Amino acid sequence: MRTLRLVCLATLLVSLPFAFAALAADGDAGDPITERQEAMKKVGDSMKALSGIARGEAPFDAEVVRRNATTIAESFERAAELFPAGSDKGAHETWAKAEIWANRADFEAKLQAGHDAAVALQSVTEEAAYRPALGKVGQACRACHDSYRRPKE
Amino acid sequence: MTGARRSRRRWLAAAGIAAAGVAAALWLSRPRPLPATVLPAHAADPRRGEVLYRVGSCHACHRAAPGEVGEATGAPVGTAPFPTPFGTFYPGNLTPAPETGLGRWRAIDFVNAMARGLAPDGRHYFPAFPYTSYRAMPVEDLLDLWAYLGTLEPIEVGRRRAQVPLLPLARRGVGLWKRLALGPVALERDPARGEAWNRGAYLALAPGHCGECHTPRDALMRLDPTRSLAGGAHPAGEGRVPSLRGLAARGRYRDAADLALALRYGEELGFDKLSSGGMAKIQVELSHLPDAELEALAEYLMSLEPL
Ligand code: HEC
Ligand code: HEC
Ligand code: HEC
Repeated sequence: MRTLRLVCLATLLVSLPFAFAALAADGDAGDPITERQEAMKKVGDSMKALSGIARGEAPFDAEVVRRNATTIAESFERAAELFPAGSDKGAHETWAKAEIWANRADFEAKLQAGHDAAVALQSVTEEAAYRPALGKVGQACRACHDSYRRPKE
Repeated sequence: MTGARRSRRRWLAAAGIAAAGVAAALWLSRPRPLPATVLPAHAADPRRGEVLYRVGSCHACHRAAPGEVGEATGAPVGTAPFPTPFGTFYPGNLTPAPETGLGRWRAIDFVNAMARGLAPDGRHYFPAFPYTSYRAMPVEDLLDLWAYLGTLEPIEVGRRRAQVPLLPLARRGVGLWKRLALGPVALERDPARGEAWNRGAYLALAPGHCGECHTPRDALMRLDPTRSLAGGAHPAGEGRVPSLRGLAARGRYRDAADLALALRYGEELGFDKLSSGGMAKIQVELSHLPDAELEALAEYLMSLEPL
């Protein structure tokens, strides 16, 4: 009986942090601004790993390329829903420009272009083809940030 | 003296003061173009002119409106709208087309546009056209740039008038502002520094007009010379523009070679903070510069200490 109580208590103690973590994650999920900024940061981290290879800071490794390109492609796949109408303002500061919602079709086309370029990068196995394929992904980032992101300073 | 006569006198005095004020304003805001005699004997070099065209980002503003003639070829036909707090401008066609471009301009007309912000008919241009920086270019460089524009294919386009309230009056206001705000050009060589550093400083501050966004302004909307390139409010109200001082200390770039690489490729090579608030179009123009020019620009920027 006593052991059972102890086991129960231990389980409870161990699971509590998880419960809180789940709650906290739930709270954040309600806010598209933080969610999309987290997604973009992940994309930015992948881009850093990829550009390190292009700048000669890390050796070319097709597996590393595939993994990071996949992260970017998958983030862009579900990014459109992180820009719901009305989220040009919110509890968190956002650098997304209101033009996104005035030119929704163009914004989504630019997102698609980023996705397609990342998908093309996934399957690059030759070092010679790497730099041009990465450039295409970067051009997609630049085109969208030029039109739809405010500078953060 | 009766009340009626007194009020009549007062009215006359007020009208006199107002007329004097208008006359003074007209006199102070009158155009003061340079005479053709300032043009030196100079064998203009269009290839040097192309470097100035690129570092000056002329095309970034004088580009074609989306879907219109010139968009695909990158010709500077100037039909894209340029929104400012005063209203919307259409920068104008820089190709040598005779009807809607610069085909009928003389070299001195171009020099007056760039160095004085004046149209051939004496109208004042708004400083949305950054002649405030370009005027620090020597006339020889302006003639090289003029020679380069002359090599472009002439393209006629529809011209659109700027949408600015009370435009003619506003242009007179610009004339007054120039009188108050534009002092002598102060851009001196630093003899203690090398050739490349001085070239970089010139490229950044005169044709490159980096300060138009990266330098904070004073109450008269002048660039603050004591805080050159220290970052500040975005001229079109798009948040804040980062400082270009202490880039190495803040770990933004390892060295001048790293910054040159960033200016050449921007986000294409994963360099962030080079795309928003108009910087993307500038970076794309800079990507066309020869290595030596880009390296000079980078050397100068990396030498700037934080304030
Ligand atoms: C279709 C448009 C679009 C594309 C494509 C795009 N971005 Fe973004 N990005 C944005 C917007 C909008 C923001 C601002 C979001 C906000 O503040 O709410 C942003 C923000 C960011 C941020 C800042 C995140 C933060 O808050 O710290 C990074 C980093 C970033 N993007 C990297 C990238 C990279 C790398 C790529 C290309 C692989 C890319 N983005 C492609 C629209 C885009
Ligand atoms: C930041 C935007 C911007 C940049 C960069 C820029 N211009 Fe302009 N330019 C303008 C605007 C806006 C006007 C119209 C101003 C007005 O109507 O008051 C203009 C007008 C002109 C005119 C007069 C055109 C006419 O038909 O009357 C000339 C010439 C000109 N620019 C040359 C250049 C050259 C050469 C460069 C590059 C070295 C350049 N501009 C870069 C914005 C720009
Ligand atoms: C039209 C305004 C404008 C002009 C003109 C301009 N910049 Fe910028 N610049 C910006 C903005 C806005 C950013 C921030 C972009 C972002 O966060 O995506 C920036 C960012 C930069 C950065 C990155 C800073 C960092 O912290 O990494 C560099 C480097 C830079 N600019 C150099 C230049 C140079 C060199 C020139 C002149 C040849 C220039 N800029 C002219 C607006 C401008």
